[in-house]
Amino acid sequence: MTTHLPAKHAETGGGRDLKKADEAALLDLLETLEHKHGFIPREISEELTRVIEVRLERLRRIQGKLDSTIRRDVKVHVARWREEEGNLIMILHAIQNQHGYVPREVAMELARELGVKLARIYEVITFYHYFRLQPPGAHSLTVCNGTACYLKGSADLLNESRSRLGVSEGQTTADRQFQLEVVRCIGCCGMAPAVVVDGQTHGRVKTSDIPGLIEAAKKQESKK
Amino acid sequence: MKPLSRTDLEALARSPASDPAEWIRVQLDTGGIAAGAEIVFNEINRIRLERQLPIALLRAGSVGYSFADPVVEVQARGMPRVHYGRVDAQVAGRIISEHCGTHQLVDEHVIATRRRSLTLTDPVTHILVRDTGPESGNKTEFFQFSLTEELKRRGLAGKVQVVRALDMGVYDKGIVVQLLPSAVTYANVLASDVARIVTKSVAGGKVLEELLWKETDKQVRVVLRNCGAIDPDSLEDYLGRAQGYQGFRRALLELTPEQVIGELKASGLRGRGGAGFPTWLKWQLTRAQPAAQRYVICNGDEGDPGAFMDRSVLESDPHSVLEGMMIAAYAMGSSQGYFYIRAEYPRAVERIERAIVQAREAGLLGENILGTGFSFNAKVRLGAGAFVCGEETALIASIEGKRGSPSPRPPYPSVRGLWGKPTAINNVETLASVPAILLRGGAWFAGLGTESSKGTKVFAVTGKVRNAQLVEVPMGTTLHDIVYDVCGGVLDGKDIKGVQTGGPSGGVIPSQHLDTPISYETLQKLGSIMGSGGMLVMDQHDSMVEVAKFYLRFCVDESCGKCAPCRIGGYQMLQILDRISRGRGSPADLVTIRRICSAMQKASLCGLGQTAPNPVLSTLRYFDEEYKAYLEGGPSYARKMSRASTAEPAREPAKPAVAP
Ligand SMILES: Cc1cc2nc3c(=O)[nH]c(=O)nc-3n(C[C@H](O)[C@H](O)[C@H](O)COP(=O)(O)O)c2cc1C
Ligand code: SF4
Ligand code: FES
Repeated sequence: MTTHLPAKHAETGGGRDLKKADEAALLDLLETLEHKHGFIPREISEELTRVIEVRLERLRRIQGKLDSTIRRDVKVHVARWREEEGNLIMILHAIQNQHGYVPREVAMELARELGVKLARIYEVITFYHYFRLQPPGAHSLTVCNGTACYLKGSADLLNESRSRLGVSEGQTTADRQFQLEVVRCIGCCGMAPAVVVDGQTHGRVKTSDIPGLIEAAKKQESKK
Repeated sequence: MKPLSRTDLEALARSPASDPAEWIRVQLDTGGIAAGAEIVFNEINRIRLERQLPIALLRAGSVGYSFADPVVEVQARGMPRVHYGRVDAQVAGRIISEHCGTHQLVDEHVIATRRRSLTLTDPVTHILVRDTGPESGNKTEFFQFSLTEELKRRGLAGKVQVVRALDMGVYDKGIVVQLLPSAVTYANVLASDVARIVTKSVAGGKVLEELLWKETDKQVRVVLRNCGAIDPDSLEDYLGRAQGYQGFRRALLELTPEQVIGELKASGLRGRGGAGFPTWLKWQLTRAQPAAQRYVICNGDEGDPGAFMDRSVLESDPHSVLEGMMIAAYAMGSSQGYFYIRAEYPRAVERIERAIVQAREAGLLGENILGTGFSFNAKVRLGAGAFVCGEETALIASIEGKRGSPSPRPPYPSVRGLWGKPTAINNVETLASVPAILLRGGAWFAGLGTESSKGTKVFAVTGKVRNAQLVEVPMGTTLHDIVYDVCGGVLDGKDIKGVQTGGPSGGVIPSQHLDTPISYETLQKLGSIMGSGGMLVMDQHDSMVEVAKFYLRFCVDESCGKCAPCRIGGYQMLQILDRISRGRGSPADLVTIRRICSAMQKASLCGLGQTAPNPVLSTLRYFDEEYKAYLEGGPSYARKMSRASTAEPAREPAKPAVAP
């Protein structure tokens, strides 16, 4: 799924907004045609229908393939944990390891496979901070806000990162380029305050270093 | 590895494996790797292969010197064994060509040994020197120069090298000099002593009593006994060099479960995860429950946001924790154990998982272990970023695959725990102590520490401290000794304001109480708790109101929301604290805060809500005037305070810890 929508749209109401926009675009096109010809010529309406159907068919096929990959992946994860009691969290970990987040389609498939309600799965996902519901950004900036880093000024680093990226922690920029995260102690208290950019740890970071770190990461190819 | 038999294990106990003659051990724990330890490892390996050097390159966990990451330990022929800190690829190259090649230590990277000697047993080959006074007016180079000149004058120049050390393990004692290999250490050395040191000690082999630093290291390593010294990924290393699984062997083959519990009782070991409940009693209560299945769980959820003891132990010595769990299982008749480890600790998870696989292959886990009829298996379950899951009932719910909401106790887990079965939950450090107790006896362990708190405790000391590091000291050591004698005092020589212990559930201990010997009871009396071992040092510039707010915000973020006192009380209190810290509070706010605190303590369902007021209460108790200053000073004072805290420049330019 490629979407250029701001993060919050992808979460709620995105589908409806999209539909409305598409409908409007289609009506616009028809109006233009009507305006031009005075009516909609049959050849054109038939051609349009054909193009749309071909496209839809292709989309359906892709969707079907996606569905079957999802189904297969979920089956594999579930099979690994089938025999274990209380396996839901471990399966969710496996899913997030694979996708970087827990996609809605996968959660739905998981509910079917395990025979539990989707709500029960979301109840667990939303309880634990570790699970993400949105795809991660191409790059990540993680500010440590453990006690040692806090005492050495991580709050300022976080403020600077927020204003530079224009998002708050847990969010991804609109262009899906950068995600801002906060963690508690990454184990480098000796080098506090610490920041992790695309998996690379930087110690004794100053506020003025943040823009440079972001720029440097953008220049790199998106992370592996 | 093929399955071990009883006789194999007995043979290993009698004849431990020996080290290769020359080796370099790189400390590859999370902190070390973040600081570039893997690059160092690869560089050493590259040079080693390129020059075909007969030096073994080994992996280890962390010895605990976080301030000096990445740390490398070197043993070369004819050289004292030393730790090097702040090593990068270039220093790694020098270690090989200079330390291993020309027998010269590398300047500015040696961490002096803490095993200081009082007698000169061997001829001096190297002299470490460092000015341990304030950073300004550093005289290290001057003393290196004068010692070297004096050696030249005595014709010893080629035989003895003078090296600037990174850290001496002795602080604020002027110029400190250590004579290697014996590790005789002189403190408060003056320029006029240089000639004497060279003639009497180096040339004459005599110890200068008046300069001798006689204090021994405050640390005693029980839990950390193998950390940094063995390869965490190797069962052979643990078995061969660390008396691995000998405690388990003794328990399983020589003692009844009751005797094991008796040994634990004699040791006086109390839980290291926070509350300090006697471990033997927890095991006995679980054992006493009639049930077909009992479970043992290792709590590796380390929730304190600035602590890393448990991670370090899991990463550096995973087999010890597993062995502790196996002994616990035998003692209480359990056949299934779980490690509950934070998903944010992938390396700890990986190493424990590997340890389990290795132990199973060696026949130490599984059915009918060593032919005794005892069966036990262990599995790993991941936490998913919820602090409350460190609480026992929430942790159990989480392992069951549910939301980690606490439930009321009783029933206690020892009666009705995981899947309704009797369950004992033990902290990582608690379990890591167990094999040592079985090996050396409960009485030995009880010989350490105080009347009520036996043994040793690991602390992760961070914040405004010179050397952020792991420290293991006998109970009863004072906070002052930990901060000043072990960790070198406050960063930049500033005055200490207090030490926070116990993380979000603990409190701040002000400077006037730093002489208190640490035990569960004394800390509690001071309004804090032992907690799992996080220790945050704060200097005069740190605002106690902000610190209290930091911890309270943490608890509010992490509250599971199940009960109102914690959910609503915490949130309201945070609003008030926030108002105060912006200089917009009123004196009535302090009264309200105290009321909310007492409601939360009394009416919250679980430990999170019950202890969340501690940081606020303890700062109110000792730093009342700071709250008042905010109240009286208003917004302009608050702005001044927040500027003061951010105006401090970082000490060194930020640099990538790991070269790209
Ligand atoms: C909110 C909360 C968080 C806790 N977090 C931890 C933790 O991270 N690690 C831990 O070992 N114990 C933690 N505990 C204490 C455990 O519930 C439990 O007492 C401990 O693991 C028992 O082991 P012990 O007897 O060996 O200390 C926490 C308790 C509470 C109430
Ligand atoms: S005290 Fe807080 S964390 Fe504990 S059960 Fe109540 S709301 Fe949840
Ligand atoms: S608190 Fe930031 S690395 Fe430990």
